[in-house]
Amino acid sequence: MRSISLIFRSVVKPFIFVSALSFGVQGYAQDTSAAPAAAGSVAGSATAAVASTASKGDASAGAAIFKQKCTACHALNRNVVGPALKGISERQSEEWLIKWIKNSQALIATGDPDAVKVFNEYNKIVMTPFPELTDGDIINILAYVKEEGDKPATPAAGAAGTAGATGTAIDTGGVSNFMLGGLIVVVIITLLVVLVLNRVISTLNKLLLQKKGVPVEDEKVAEPGEKVYDKLKRLSKNKKLVFFTVLLVTILLGSWSWRTMWNTGVHEGYQPEQPIKYSHQLHAGTLKINCQYCHTGAYKSKNASIPSLNVCMNCHNYVQATEKYNGEISPEIMKIYKALDYDPETKQYGSNTKPIQWVRIHNLPDFAYFNHSQHVSVAGIECQKCHGPIQTMPEVYQYAPLTMKWCINCHRTMEVNAKGNGYYDKLEEVHNLLKQGKKVTPAVLGGIECGKCHY
Amino acid sequence: MKSNKKYWKGLEELKSSSDFVEKNKNEFAEEIPLEDVLSEGGLNSVTPRRDFLKALGFGLGAVSLAACQTAPIRKSIPYLIKPEEITPGVANYYVSSFHGQSILVKTREGRPIKIEANPAGLFENTGTDAVTQAAVLDLYDVSKLKGPVLNKAEVTWDNMDLYVKGELNKLQASGKKIRLVSATVTSPSTKAVIADFITQFPNTMHVQVDAVSYSGVLQANAASFGKAVLPRYRFDRADVIVSVAADFLGTWIAGEEYSRQYVGNRNSKSLKKGKMSRHIQFETGMSMTGTNADSRIPVKPSEQGPAIIALYNEVTGSTLSGAEGLSANAVANTAIKLAAKELVQARGRALVVCGSNDVSMQTLVNAINSSLGSYGTTIDLDNPHLNYAGNDAVFASFISEMNRGEVGAVFLLNTNPAYSYFNARAFTDALSKVPLRVSFSDREDETASLCNVLAPNSNFLESWGDESAVDGYYTVVQPTINPVFNTRQAEQSLLAWSSNSQKNYYQYVKSYWEKNILPTAGKSWKQLLQTGFAYTGEKPAGTYVFSASLPAIAQTIVTQSKTLAKDIEIHLYQSMSMRDGRYANNAFLQELPDPVSKVTWDNYAAVAPKYAEEQGWSEFDKIEIKGANGHSITLPVLLQPGQARGTISIAVGYGREKPGQIGKVGENAYPFATSTNGSIRFFNTATVTKTGEKYELAQTQTHHSYEGRDIVRETSFASYVKDPHSGTGKHAGGHHEYDLWPEHKKIGHNWVMAIDLNACTGCGACIVACNVENNIPVVGRDEVRNRREMHWLRIDRYYSFKEGEKSVTEEKEIEKLENMDDISVVHQPMLCQHCDHAPCETVCPVIATMHSSDGLNHMAYNRCVGTRYCANNCPYKVRRFNWFNYWNDSRFDNYLNNEFTQLLLNPDVTTRSRGVMEKCSMCIQRIQAGRLKAKLEKRPLVDGEIQMACQQACSANAIIFGDLNDPNSAVSNELRNERTYYVLEEINTQPGVGYQTKVRNVVEA
Repeated sequence: MRSISLIFRSVVKPFIFVSALSFGVQGYAQDTSAAPAAAGSVAGSATAAVASTASKGDASAGAAIFKQKCTACHALNRNVVGPALKGISERQSEEWLIKWIKNSQALIATGDPDAVKVFNEYNKIVMTPFPELTDGDIINILAYVKEEGDKPATPAAGAAGTAGATGTAIDTGGVSNFMLGGLIVVVIITLLVVLVLNRVISTLNKLLLQKKGVPVEDEKVAEPGEKVYDKLKRLSKNKKLVFFTVLLVTILLGSWSWRTMWNTGVHEGYQPEQPIKYSHQLHAGTLKINCQYCHTGAYKSKNASIPSLNVCMNCHNYVQATEKYNGEISPEIMKIYKALDYDPETKQYGSNTKPIQWVRIHNLPDFAYFNHSQHVSVAGIECQKCHGPIQTMPEVYQYAPLTMKWCINCHRTMEVNAKGNGYYDKLEEVHNLLKQGKKVTPAVLGGIECGKCHY
Repeated sequence: MKSNKKYWKGLEELKSSSDFVEKNKNEFAEEIPLEDVLSEGGLNSVTPRRDFLKALGFGLGAVSLAACQTAPIRKSIPYLIKPEEITPGVANYYVSSFHGQSILVKTREGRPIKIEANPAGLFENTGTDAVTQAAVLDLYDVSKLKGPVLNKAEVTWDNMDLYVKGELNKLQASGKKIRLVSATVTSPSTKAVIADFITQFPNTMHVQVDAVSYSGVLQANAASFGKAVLPRYRFDRADVIVSVAADFLGTWIAGEEYSRQYVGNRNSKSLKKGKMSRHIQFETGMSMTGTNADSRIPVKPSEQGPAIIALYNEVTGSTLSGAEGLSANAVANTAIKLAAKELVQARGRALVVCGSNDVSMQTLVNAINSSLGSYGTTIDLDNPHLNYAGNDAVFASFISEMNRGEVGAVFLLNTNPAYSYFNARAFTDALSKVPLRVSFSDREDETASLCNVLAPNSNFLESWGDESAVDGYYTVVQPTINPVFNTRQAEQSLLAWSSNSQKNYYQYVKSYWEKNILPTAGKSWKQLLQTGFAYTGEKPAGTYVFSASLPAIAQTIVTQSKTLAKDIEIHLYQSMSMRDGRYANNAFLQELPDPVSKVTWDNYAAVAPKYAEEQGWSEFDKIEIKGANGHSITLPVLLQPGQARGTISIAVGYGREKPGQIGKVGENAYPFATSTNGSIRFFNTATVTKTGEKYELAQTQTHHSYEGRDIVRETSFASYVKDPHSGTGKHAGGHHEYDLWPEHKKIGHNWVMAIDLNACTGCGACIVACNVENNIPVVGRDEVRNRREMHWLRIDRYYSFKEGEKSVTEEKEIEKLENMDDISVVHQPMLCQHCDHAPCETVCPVIATMHSSDGLNHMAYNRCVGTRYCANNCPYKVRRFNWFNYWNDSRFDNYLNNEFTQLLLNPDVTTRSRGVMEKCSMCIQRIQAGRLKAKLEKRPLVDGEIQMACQQACSANAIIFGDLNDPNSAVSNELRNERTYYVLEEINTQPGVGYQTKVRNVVEA
């Protein structure tokens, strides 16, 4: 089963690549066509904004500051940590907002009723003071907020902008039904082409022979069944042929079963479907989040540990990927909220929690003891050495075979990372070996003995 | 020089009975029942060809189907919100307290899995006893109540509170008495809660009762010195110790602390200084303390009183009448004289203790100690023990109160009088006259089942609280897990029922400490939770002089002794594992062999071999013992060398009716106890009839025979002083050694162990610690009988005879012995010796056991195919074979075979399955973890940082583990000791475990 899935994957991979390319090109085309329209609308609304507001601000400068300082807690159309900012200029005076943004606590301390109200409304979460922002900066931000807020939030525009992205996202997500269908169609077409070409060749041959005046024998197959039967009978009497066929079959079957048996219980390439479509490609690859941020255990414990949801919430409290989902929160992120019984509108946690049941990919048998911290912190091995190019995996699969042979090979060849580690200095003979510049592998220190991993 | 002394493990070995010889021929007592299968027509029946093909086809099909299975889906479920302090895979330790001892509780992913002594704790808090080690299993006991029960129906706590409060208010109005009955409460906070309860309901009184009472000692000290306290005995300051029936290393007052003190004067450190205390024990049954004594003299219960009178006379030179009661026992008579001489010589460094709960005997012992100048030196009355404060007289009057119908409500906390009171019938009858009977018991035990309100108390690992077992020393109890079942702390219940203004017991404890203890101790609450204890300082021990008149007291002793001097005398004692019966449902403790008899899962009637011969009883004969008070039980006979003739010793703590799933073993001996002069004494007289039945006790001792090889090495203190090498069997000038095998190169560490036979008291804490640490299954009584116990570490007990101060060496001489009473005992912990030339390694056909580069003998379970060649070839008999899948087999319901109890398993150690050999791994998981910790911190490994489970549990520090490649390590120092020898070193197995000779401080003829 597994090997079939592997072959299947190896066939599908290039196909995905090709189709992704073609979609990408399409998406690019759509993007370029949408771009002028968007630019136009931006220009249009910008002029309108300038016309309507009293104090002028540079919306593009504001946009930069907004993205840098505000998006962690604020969005335009939704409440995140703080309130939605759309129409903030209508709700509060510019002067009040400047005071608030520079130091909200000071404003609350003065007893300003609006300030106190907002503070209480948002669970008394203290807004970070920004004394470094000048009045001009704040005016720029407000201009940007106004400008963006006034944009008609039509679903069409958003959809057009994200179509390409979502399209590729789905395609790279793995083998979909569409792909499967496509593959079958391609195979059938290929087969048809082969058949047709065969036919053409035989027809051409016939024509050639006719031209030469040779009588066409094939056409006179009156009893084809008997003929084929005779042919087979003759072939079966050919001892050499039979011998070689049997030999070939034996070799093939033998090598197949040898391989299969050796790989019993080896789940290299195992890629189960996970309850949340979490992409390491996005988080570790594109966003370059350090592995340790989530897998804290890898550095200090035997378990690398799957992060608990409060770690996810550090970012996904406000990172909701709404821009990709038409203003809605990403359904995958919603799964986190659901598990925590968290309401993104009210920002309240409920009691109806349900843990996420991830499917374990790397399964070591119970009798094998493996400790992440030994390998990651002491030996300084990169995660990728065993887990493969994790930063490119949209869905994680088992990269290494996790067989004992694989462990031992590494223990025999890798050098012990003894430099600067006081532990090895005290072991006299080991220290001498190191001083002599000899290669000290874990195997030399007893790292391939049974009891070091099996107890 | 090699000793010629003859050691024997048990009577069957001594006598070489045919059955024993037959059984010991083979490594495994029972053959694989192949014969049965074959003889029961297994082969004779004709298997039709079709059937054979069918089976073959099905087999092949099943195998290929099973092989087709893709990767099993294994779920990995992380925390929703991970507690900050928990890292999956890393253990957390919390300080807490058990029986007044400061402990560390190891938790993994939020579940407690191991208890250790808190090394920061006071009084050289280096180890724990077996009960403490096993206590963690009680948390995972399936027999516990799952929630509150009111009149046999499950209710909510709110409903129960309403009911109890209503009833209490009615009682308050009617003026009926309320009684809170408990075992001794050492917790200051619990006492405060009870005091608050009494303020709310002034008709309440707190009655303390201990199953094994010390009220005689308390009363004697009150009478002698005006202080009703349990003195703190200082065995560390005593050079000569005379004990009359006090099992002070085991079950008497504070066995753990006393062991540490006692061993401190006898271990290798003390011997190096040329110092060793002398210990003389007079007792009836062979106690663990008796096995450690330098001289041990059997006396009957009726002779104990006269012995004390005689000792008093000899020490003070006075002539109290009554000493003639000992005249029948010539050995004891001489011994008393010698002991008195030694005591007087060691004035100020002498100590006499007595295990009796009799006021007059204790008073006389006080007089002896006073004349020896022990008060202020070896006895401290000013920093007393607080762990036993029960008063037998108060409890007796409480029963009559109930009988008169004056009591309206009884609250029972940590006590089970319906089982453990000597006159349980009187108690249960009286209890039925009380309308409101509330039990805080965690299970429906004998007493709880008579109650109408069951308010289950949480386990101590789920509770807040505190303890103070020694005056001025306060330890805090801290929860390590949320209550597993719907239980509530008894204190919390009392707070709720007395409508206390403080509803939360945690807050109550905290504010109590902040108000009363922490200011004096100079610690904050946070510091307390990190260190685990507070000490308000030791008061100077005052000197006390005894001045009361003695003749009347001596007369009482004589009268009482005379009542015992008839028929057969019964002596009741607490066993090391069961104690007073509280832990009857703890499988680890049930399977822990008794330190002396090595019996598991039962109590028995211990009888002297010669006496049994006279009476016509043989081993395992069932005899009916009918006490003078009419109580009668039937128990198997155990021939116990060293038992006083004409006596039977029986352990209490067995025969529980409702302990839970597994604890219903043995017979209840409590009813034999008698109440004399207001205190309960554990003696009686009885008549015995032989029933003619046999009952085989599950004994572990002779299971692993050494075929008479020279295992134990012993010397006397005098010889040791002359030549420290004495008794080790070392030759002067070395001899050439030849090796068949290449030497193992140990370039990193070389892990070895040193065991001091003179420090080991044989208590068995190491065995339980090893069980808990290494997921060793409990196999049950029947499997122990089949010699299939799984303990990786056992303590072998060896007897040897002395007759007239001369060791008896030849078997022929032994047969001729008139007196089989004078025996000495050696305890020897035996575990895998991790031989450098291991015989097991060379015979394994699949290389499942092999040597490591750091001196350990590894065992790869998954490689083992179960040939058992290794066990056959092991000269130390330390390999254990898994005959069953103990953790998944309904026949072994006693322990691992349920999901809840399996939470106790150490996740770092594999559970072994059927058909696999296992043995001591030298806690390799701890070695690996310790090394990794050093590597992570980029520092050299510190000596003593890695501790074996057995080592950590040993209060006596008899076991030391470390790296022999480090010349300065403690273990290197110990092994350089002159006393060091290796067991069977003559066969050149080159063991990694070195033993130090047993030294006995005997008077040489």
